[in-house]
Amino acid sequence: MIKVKGLVKKFEKITAVDNISFDIADGEIFGFLGPNGAGKTTTIRMLTTLIRPSSGTIEIDGMDSSSDAEKIRKIIGILTETPGMYEKLSAFENLRYFASFYNIEEKKIKANIEKFLKMFELWERRNDMVATFSKGMKQKLAISRALVHEPKILFLDEPTAGLDPESAFMVRKFIENMKNNKITVFLCTHNLEEAQSLCDTVCIIKNKIIRTASLKELQNLKNQRTFILKLKKPDDRFMGIINNFKDCINYRIENEKIILNIENFEKNNPLLIKELVKNDAEIIYFNEKKESLEEIYLELVKG
Amino acid sequence: MKNALIIFKKEIKEVIKNKSIWTPTIILSIIFCILLPVGLTVGSSGITADPDAAEIFSKLLPGHDPFSAMIIFLSKQLLIFLLLVPAMIPSLIAPTSITLEKESRTLEPLLATPIKTKELLLGKTLTSFIPSIVISTFNFILLSVTLDILSYPKLGYLILPNVEWCIVAFVLSPAISFIITMVSIIISSKTTDLRSAQGIGSAVILPIYAIIGMQIAGLFLMNIIYLVIACAVLIAICPLTLKIAVRVFDRENILTKWKYK
Repeated sequence: MIKVKGLVKKFEKITAVDNISFDIADGEIFGFLGPNGAGKTTTIRMLTTLIRPSSGTIEIDGMDSSSDAEKIRKIIGILTETPGMYEKLSAFENLRYFASFYNIEEKKIKANIEKFLKMFELWERRNDMVATFSKGMKQKLAISRALVHEPKILFLDEPTAGLDPESAFMVRKFIENMKNNKITVFLCTHNLEEAQSLCDTVCIIKNKIIRTASLKELQNLKNQRTFILKLKKPDDRFMGIINNFKDCINYRIENEKIILNIENFEKNNPLLIKELVKNDAEIIYFNEKKESLEEIYLELVKG
Repeated sequence: MKNALIIFKKEIKEVIKNKSIWTPTIILSIIFCILLPVGLTVGSSGITADPDAAEIFSKLLPGHDPFSAMIIFLSKQLLIFLLLVPAMIPSLIAPTSITLEKESRTLEPLLATPIKTKELLLGKTLTSFIPSIVISTFNFILLSVTLDILSYPKLGYLILPNVEWCIVAFVLSPAISFIITMVSIIISSKTTDLRSAQGIGSAVILPIYAIIGMQIAGLFLMNIIYLVIACAVLIAICPLTLKIAVRVFDRENILTKWKYK
């Protein structure tokens, strides 16, 4: 659905986006992560044909972004960094105004406006001026605007930023539903938990791509896996066994659990367990520690 | 064209609601189309009774009696004064048209729709141009009616409309309105905040003040030759301003160089 090759964007002497490439499949939720100033918004603006790349190519649904910009804009919806609604118009008028730039029947526009305003619990306020809306309501309205013309691809720039937990939850649920509707979602976010729970693939960017991978791949990035060992009575004798185990790289105790890094774990884990059991250790559990995306992200971004 | 009309329809509603646009326009209309013609015509008997003044008017427009010369002179002055309206209305509406979109952050989602740059600019232009033309034409008609009602009993013929009136109302006024609109849109695309857009916008009509001042000072008196020359120059400038406006309105620069406060 989206194919990006060698994308570069320079602003005078600053290279905001440096030679990034990725592919996004139809119906995929693609997370775009990175610190402030990493080039996320610039990338979104290039993908949505708002600005031109300095070099590289963007193909959206088989169309080239430089020659088919208007056609591309017909099939995409965008939630910009800030909602950007006309404050003196009502919620309904705002949506109708934006929807009228697409070739959709008036009847369909009205039906879609009703559908999305109801979905985001704004229907009762449809005739109120947007100036009277809270930040969360404006954000939900802006998402409705991005959807009202039924786009194939949805670009969301920080969709839950600044929202209260209830609104953020509603927005996340909605993004999850996009998958059922076969809409491709390009999700720019700072919220790593959000990316972890919603995205099929994440791309970590800091002007250039640091890593593009599925979440599972990212979690397996570390060459040494971390394990958690919980013993019924973790006395010094058992700690000594772990300490003297030749392939144990390091260990620490956290909340009465032993966190271990073992080299060549597939071979060595059973040996360590065997040794502990032989010395009457009662093992409550032995698990692999799941790395959070945040840990992986921080590690990658720090370089 | 359809998209330009969508923009026009939305924006014209806001313009109609905006009292700060209509108040000065209505005041100008009342002054130049009613108060000044009424005051000067009613007081004309006294003015033309003065032999020196009567001589001046007769010399100014030979072949006319002092009263009709004064009325014709008055109509020429007022027609030029009324050019303030087609200049003023776009200068009140257009300079903020793009700046407001930038400031309310609606420009980015708007540009992400399939709208073309030309359609967006055309929509914004119509929002300034159409009210300006409608109000200006109404003013020219109102001035004609006022002057004719006041002068017909004494002259026995209708002084307006005449050829000069037609040129001013249907060629010069729309050309001025169009140019001021385009220049204001150029300013709006370039300025980085609303206040400077409004400030520079109000300076755009200074040349019109200068022309009025020059005629009041007696440096020239409007006639058909001057009008034809002015129209030819302005009509030649019109496509140039349109071209510059389209070129200056660069989506990328507007989005990336605008600094939100």
